[in-house]
Amino acid sequence: MRWGMVINLAKCTRCHACIAACRIEHFLPLGMTWPRLIAYETDIPGQELTTLPVRCNQCKEAPCVEVCPAEATKKRPDGIVYVDNNKCVGCRYCVVVCPYQNRTFFSRDKDPGFFPGHERTRFEKAGRKLYPHVSGTTEKCDFCMERIDAGMAKGLVPGKDREATPACVNTCQARALTFGDLDDPNSEVSKLIREKNAFQLHPEYGTEPSVYYIDSKIGNAPSNVAPRAAQTASHMQHLSTMEARAREIFKKK
Amino acid sequence: MSRMATRQWMVTHEWMVKPMHQREWIERRGIMIWIAETFTSLGAGLYLVSLFIGSWWGLLVGWLIIMFLKLPIHIAYFGKPWRFYRTMPPFSNAWKTSWFARGILFSVFFVSFAFVQLVFGQPDIARLVGHAISDPLYYIFGVLAGINALGVGIYGGFIMKYVKGIPFWNQGLLPVVIMLAGVADGFGLAMAVGLAGGDASIAWAETGSRYLLLINVLLIVTYLISAGYTSAVAKLSIRELLKGPSAFMFWGGLVVLGLAVPAVISIIGLVGAEVSDILLIIAVVSHTIGAFALKYCILKVGIYRPLLPRVAAY
Repeated sequence: MRWGMVINLAKCTRCHACIAACRIEHFLPLGMTWPRLIAYETDIPGQELTTLPVRCNQCKEAPCVEVCPAEATKKRPDGIVYVDNNKCVGCRYCVVVCPYQNRTFFSRDKDPGFFPGHERTRFEKAGRKLYPHVSGTTEKCDFCMERIDAGMAKGLVPGKDREATPACVNTCQARALTFGDLDDPNSEVSKLIREKNAFQLHPEYGTEPSVYYIDSKIGNAPSNVAPRAAQTASHMQHLSTMEARAREIFKKK
Repeated sequence: MSRMATRQWMVTHEWMVKPMHQREWIERRGIMIWIAETFTSLGAGLYLVSLFIGSWWGLLVGWLIIMFLKLPIHIAYFGKPWRFYRTMPPFSNAWKTSWFARGILFSVFFVSFAFVQLVFGQPDIARLVGHAISDPLYYIFGVLAGINALGVGIYGGFIMKYVKGIPFWNQGLLPVVIMLAGVADGFGLAMAVGLAGGDASIAWAETGSRYLLLINVLLIVTYLISAGYTSAVAKLSIRELLKGPSAFMFWGGLVVLGLAVPAVISIIGLVGAEVSDILLIIAVVSHTIGAFALKYCILKVGIYRPLLPRVAAY
């Protein structure tokens, strides 16, 4: 089993919902963003500026895992690469070595609080209990492994059942993100990769990323204009599931 | 949303699709890496040179540089400095794959073995325990410390060489360039030890420095030429070095002070004229500035290939 993601660039509406969902899911400090929507210029008329959603590629041959001197970055049997913040020494070698620049060193200045100069809100405090972002260490996207684990423990299937699927995939109102098992030839991600000629970023590095892209002409699709109502609805939908999950975790504690 | 507004809204991560500099190891706290790496080269280089020319004072200064300058600065750079022990066995077996972990091990072994060597090399202690005991120990630990000093001097090059996203660093020659530059600067510092009244032979140090300078010039030129052939981004790095924002450090710090000035002073000694102490001090200072400039240049022009392989010919 190896979890992977397919991002259809033709469908991506650059609504930033995936980024917002991740921020909400992990209570990310303001200076920290795990998935990113990077902007770039093209020479396509009417599409001078377009975007590419990126996140940790969860590489099969992850250089960050190999170089970490404290073995704080680890790869799970299901292919997810994660950082153990209790072990990370903050040397930042992984940040430098990641050819996709998808790791962030979390320094104090990246955590001004939601209301700088004021005490943390109850929401923030509650978030820190769930996800204690440790300053002085490195962070990155981990495909929402807690959701996957919790969902699978209930017998749910990541990529199919919302509760076991990464927050960004759930939130994407254009269904540009697909999640599933790359090792299963019948999974939706495998089919998409096969049928739509999905590509990885910089395959020449030999890192074998688990995030694939489908590109008609990068970002140049009519679906680029998203109805605002759809965005709002998907945000609200995600927020409601988050609240339920947070309640559940607090009840256990 | 108007195009201008979109542009403002999205400008944050635009850099990721353009060739951009690595910043973690040269800007803000990253300056500590630059300084620590330079002391690594200087300390390891001086230690190796001192082993070669048999200078106890040189060994001591080399050990002090690694122990009290390189290691503390390196550890202070960590986000969690007090966790540094986690990089070593038995807490971590990362040395199997990570040059960073190997470097830390080399450093720890080096400071330990070199300490024992220094103790048994100290004349009073040697006399106290007897030369029959101290001499073999001095040589055995000298070999062990020397091997680890080599590791300390070269691991920084391997660390950078491993970064595939930065083509200027991803060159097989980089560890050799860094190692030999360290040895050349070690010869420079050995001159300083001799000048300060230590037991290092200035003549030896001068001769060694002369050859190493020549080899380094050839290596750096070869490195720049070979890197230029690898990719457009590496070429961009070289352009930055030669005529970009880092040109002042490259030409002024590395070429003029690090290579030309010591070479000219060395040639004065070669043609027979007596080299005054002032000139030797200038040579030592130039060498050391050159060491800082070399590391700065390498770290500063580390430019990533852009993320998107299709939008540009990088």
